[in-house]
Amino acid sequence: MSKSLLYLLFSIYATATIGYLLHLIWRRPIIAKGALALIAVGVFLQTGLLAHRWWLAGYLPVTNLFATLFFFSWALALIYLYFELRYRIRATGLFVMLLNLLLLGGALPRDTKISALIPALDTPLFSLHIIFSFIGYAFFAMAFSVGALYLCQSRLHSNRLPDLQTLRRINEEAIFLGFSLFTLCMIAGSIWAHIAWGHWFSWNIKSVWSVLVWMFYAGMCHAKFIRRWQGGVYAWLSIAGFGVVLFTYLGIGLLLESNHPLE
Amino acid sequence: MTNNERKSLSLLHRLWLLGCSLKLAIALASAATLLIMGGSLVMHFNPAIFAGMEKDIMARWLPWAWSQAPLLVAWVPLSGICVLLFAINTLCCLIDWLLKIKARWRKTGEYLIHAGFILLSIAFLWGNISGFRSGPHRIFQGEHLAIPNMTGLSLRLEEFTPQLEPSGRPLDMLNQVSLWDNGTQVAEALVRMNHPLIYNGLVILPTSFGQELDGFKFHMPGRGVIELRTGSRLSISSETNIILHKMLPDARLNDQGRVIQTGSRLNNPAMLISLQGPSGKLWEGWYFLRSPLPRQLREAGIALRPTEPVFKTFSLLTINRDPADKMAAVGAGCITLGVFFALFSFYRKRAQGDRPEV
Repeated sequence: MSKSLLYLLFSIYATATIGYLLHLIWRRPIIAKGALALIAVGVFLQTGLLAHRWWLAGYLPVTNLFATLFFFSWALALIYLYFELRYRIRATGLFVMLLNLLLLGGALPRDTKISALIPALDTPLFSLHIIFSFIGYAFFAMAFSVGALYLCQSRLHSNRLPDLQTLRRINEEAIFLGFSLFTLCMIAGSIWAHIAWGHWFSWNIKSVWSVLVWMFYAGMCHAKFIRRWQGGVYAWLSIAGFGVVLFTYLGIGLLLESNHPLE
Repeated sequence: MTNNERKSLSLLHRLWLLGCSLKLAIALASAATLLIMGGSLVMHFNPAIFAGMEKDIMARWLPWAWSQAPLLVAWVPLSGICVLLFAINTLCCLIDWLLKIKARWRKTGEYLIHAGFILLSIAFLWGNISGFRSGPHRIFQGEHLAIPNMTGLSLRLEEFTPQLEPSGRPLDMLNQVSLWDNGTQVAEALVRMNHPLIYNGLVILPTSFGQELDGFKFHMPGRGVIELRTGSRLSISSETNIILHKMLPDARLNDQGRVIQTGSRLNNPAMLISLQGPSGKLWEGWYFLRSPLPRQLREAGIALRPTEPVFKTFSLLTINRDPADKMAAVGAGCITLGVFFALFSFYRKRAQGDRPEV
């Protein structure tokens, strides 16, 4: 993958983020529309790059830190587009795209080389596991951003930000969709583990933390029914949940040894 | 109804409400989550205790680990109890939903996920009590291997072909195997990476492969290069043969003058051979390939010069059994269906403007 295309993609998302910031200050719809258009262009370009890498590799190339950050960033941008088109949550884009810039920025200095696929990963279950996992993570990242925005809005009560009710709905929807997809990721991973290692649950630290992520968000799907937790507590839980996700994704891969190493 | 009966009914009712309580579910799930979070870090920093957790079922590993370091492993049974209580709580919720299904059918997806979780919890417990994990087992082509803990069941490796890249990097291990139950073949499959043989809860899958010294190639004046493998016979003349009985990759003579194996890597190879004449065995003894040919062979007019070793390849297979694998599969199916139902009903409700909240 050409580094210049990566930098172009980063510039597009960075410009869109600045656009959202300016929109927040000046409240000009044209700026927000421009930012949204830029994100759409970015997603289109990133989809093309991802498809090209997939075609070159012959498998979904999400096997190292560069590739996972790139895929995560793509999924987050795509999910933001979905929520933006559905709810018109413009200022929220600032929070989500800042997170996306961090993900893509983390990928930029890394080697883009596609490594040979190790035989154990050569199964469609791996692709399903990865796709559901990172799209699930992206929904959780969306919930984290919306949760953070909810906490800001609950103090600021600004008319420049989406209202609390909308933010709460988006947060709950992101958690629900993320949990659903992460559940499918866990099912695909368990079937794969059964045929690759002969047991469907592994005590490897990455697998254990994946179960913890699943349990945490399963709990959140229930917590929304507790009236006192709706809104503020739920927003804090979204932030804490994303902390668990980050530790599962990056912390274990980078700090500890696991069977899901990150290079 | 007497007062006592009323009291016991009320107690049962309260117990039932507690069993179905959402707050209890959150408390149990949180307790299990916190315990497992802490435990996973204890696990990571104490590999001597926890490495075996992956290699064996819980019913065998836990008593051993408990005897070694009870404080370090206490989180395992504690979190297990929390998850078990959580599963019971989920079961109560599921029964409660089933009793009111007419009014709550729109939650079918969510409750299928609950049912799947209960099935998976039971399957995990069952598999970890009455299953087993074994291996890797070394097996040569044409050999039978008795399946551990399953009397009468054996595995035969019909053919083994390792697949390597030109660089020598292993790509796959193709094991053509058959499964035999008291002399009757009950299954056969080509077992390779991500394609195990699954039979009645048994999972047979490739782990690795290796090579073992099986013989040697020699240069023999007038005959060129000849190969001697364990069990093979080399005809010297119309009446004389030599037979290779045993091959050791690294051997030496001990103080009692006996040949002993000192290693498994090729270093000081020795072979036990016998010289056969028309009337039977003429001589049998060890030939250390780094030393000259034994005198008895030289006197029989045999001249052999070792040139290169001959190896035979073995496969390493893992054999696990999980008697609850079908239950786990049903649980996984319920959860998958549940997710799709829940997603569908969520968007349907939204499209109808019915309960816009999730």
